[in-house]
Amino acid sequence: MSKNKIYLDYASTTPVDKRVLKAMLPYFSEKFGNTMSLHSWGQEAKEALEESRDVVAHLIGAKAEEIIFTSSATESNNLTLKGIAFAAKKGHIIISQIEHPCVLEAALWLEKRGFEITRLAPDKYGLIDPQEVKKAIKEETILVSIIHANNEIGTIEPIEEIGKICKEKGVYFHTDASQNFGKMKIDINKMNIDLLTASSHKMYGPKGAALLFVRSGTKIEPILHGGGHEFGLRSSTINLPAIIGFAEASRICKKEMKKEAKKLVVLRDKLIKSVLSEIPGAHLNGHPKLRLPNNANFWFEFIEGESLVIQLDLCSIAASTGSACSSATLEPSHVLSAIGLKPQEAHGSLRLSLGRWTKEKEIGYVLRVLPKIVEKLRKISPFKIK
Amino acid sequence: MKKKVICAMSGGVDSSVAAALLKKGGPAPEQVRYGVNFEVMGVFMKFWSESKEKGNRCCGEDSERRARQVAKILKIPFYVFNFEKEFKKRVVDYFLGESKAGLTPNPCVVCNKEIKFGLLLEKALALGADYVATGHYALKREIKNKKGPYGESLKATAKIKNYELLKSKDKKKDQSYFLWRLSQDQLKHILFPIGDYNKTQVRNLAKKFKLPVTDFKESQEICFIKTNIQDFLKRRLKSMKGPVIEQTNKGVEKIISRHDGLWFYTIGQRKGLGLAGGPYYVLDKDIKKNALMITKNGKDLFKKELKVKNVNWISGNTHRLPFKIRIKTRSQQALSGAVIAKKLPRGRYKIVFSKGERAVAPGQSAVFYSGRKLVGGGVIC
Repeated sequence: MSKNKIYLDYASTTPVDKRVLKAMLPYFSEKFGNTMSLHSWGQEAKEALEESRDVVAHLIGAKAEEIIFTSSATESNNLTLKGIAFAAKKGHIIISQIEHPCVLEAALWLEKRGFEITRLAPDKYGLIDPQEVKKAIKEETILVSIIHANNEIGTIEPIEEIGKICKEKGVYFHTDASQNFGKMKIDINKMNIDLLTASSHKMYGPKGAALLFVRSGTKIEPILHGGGHEFGLRSSTINLPAIIGFAEASRICKKEMKKEAKKLVVLRDKLIKSVLSEIPGAHLNGHPKLRLPNNANFWFEFIEGESLVIQLDLCSIAASTGSACSSATLEPSHVLSAIGLKPQEAHGSLRLSLGRWTKEKEIGYVLRVLPKIVEKLRKISPFKIK
Repeated sequence: MKKKVICAMSGGVDSSVAAALLKKGGPAPEQVRYGVNFEVMGVFMKFWSESKEKGNRCCGEDSERRARQVAKILKIPFYVFNFEKEFKKRVVDYFLGESKAGLTPNPCVVCNKEIKFGLLLEKALALGADYVATGHYALKREIKNKKGPYGESLKATAKIKNYELLKSKDKKKDQSYFLWRLSQDQLKHILFPIGDYNKTQVRNLAKKFKLPVTDFKESQEICFIKTNIQDFLKRRLKSMKGPVIEQTNKGVEKIISRHDGLWFYTIGQRKGLGLAGGPYYVLDKDIKKNALMITKNGKDLFKKELKVKNVNWISGNTHRLPFKIRIKTRSQQALSGAVIAKKLPRGRYKIVFSKGERAVAPGQSAVFYSGRKLVGGGVIC
């Protein structure tokens, strides 16, 4: 990354770790085989693919054959909702109001085709109450899908409790762990997770690789039909370089995640504490403790988040108002609305997400610049056209 | 300190050159120091559009790509503002509402007032900018009033700054007509960098600045409509059948056909009426009876006077009446001589033409000029 630029948008995407890139390079021009070929090139590729599968499976306590590689978290989430729905043919699906748009939109699409959808509301911290899940489950329920850690406000959901309830009720439980896979320990058995989504580019791997963990015996239909790759659940020529990178990134995360999280929590809490104490009218979004180690999300009174992000960008600091996926619209974030923020409050939001290479002095710089920008923006009296 | 200016960029040649002039300075006298004085930022606005298809639409993804490319060449920061929702609400819904009421609305005037120099200007100022610039063919001139609002002479130090809106150098391309609703508050923060040039000069400037602007279709009549207005209204408004009445001689009327909604017609229209035994012209719309009045006599279309409402005076002050002006009653219409005769109740004004004016359509903008100066305008009622 450029020397003078400060990247605090790791939640939208991360740079590829140099070690990851190194591991990937041979798989472009030397070990380029198609995993489905019989010859030695193909066998070499297949071996590398299966080794990668072992690595990522190991990170969450899954069996290798329970890992389906996909191209993106969006694809994994679509495969989950549509695949489970198609297999059951009819039924009821429970999600939360603060899922990623790909879950919300896939659910809406299914709703239009006759499936019943329940969208659970979070509390003011963005937490989903496991008892609400329990109450919502009924005879027809085929799937519960709750995001593991929210991409905007960083709140970590009580996945283990929800998993336990789903197991008791005999309902499939899926969680979108795009934001926390590789950043905190996940045990699919202890947490009773049946399906789990994870993405490579959020954890210093390349874009174009993701996975869906599908517990053995789960009734699910593919949405891509063809050559029968990935145990018949996801036909497509294997994107081996990206998967190699994903696996290497997972290997590094497994080794370093504890230490990294510890460092990030210190920086995050320093950032949160200073912003709240030094900037009047600043509020934290999400839970103070139950949050991703790298996520800080605020809303500022009398400030428009978009202006703030542009001003920060002009000061070489990359930030975001919410998720990158929604920055193209003027709609207030659905997550901030769901936790009870009024539209004008939600418009004043700022997400700073830290990562592997965030330095203390960078946070120091942000803390020097941000209060000045907020003050400046507030000073400009709102201009209303007469 | 450098002034901050946000340039609206559509990817077209006009706004691209506008941005280049601001960044690098231009041949026009006051532009020589532009590049030194300004810190420029490019903004692409996304508007609502009926079709999500690719095409030459001025705010589609192709255009966004082109605008981004220009910003990259000029080395200016570039951002995209999404105004889809507000544009739909403030411009498209207005357009539909007025059309439904039998009027001939002008969405561009509303977009300039509400979106480009409304929302965008508000956002720009909130970002700490001093100006919003656009690629409009129009000019703004700063003047110092020698006299106060009551005609009293002012000391040099107390002179009030005021802004005039002028036609662009390129008479054919001039877009001042669409800007008549701007206020002093807005003008204060607006720059029109290309108003000093004609289209050929602008194209040459684009070459000089090495901008990759291709000659794609000129801004369409109404940017958010994919095909033509009639089809758009057919898709969006429920049909409302009514009689088509021919006015043969003064007072003699007969029903000769039926129409599907008054909004499919505009006053003066000849083509596309689908009536045998013509040519016929649309003479008027009787909103109460939902009747379309037509005539064979083209001379009936000429009017001696008209009334306007929602009048805006660019200077901010009502001009003394009667006021001899040149008037434009449609964007494509030539200027005509007229006098703003008197003020009527409810903020309306009576205007008398020197000669008859053809096809005056309620809902359209009547814009007043005095020489090169746009002095004000109103909505024809």
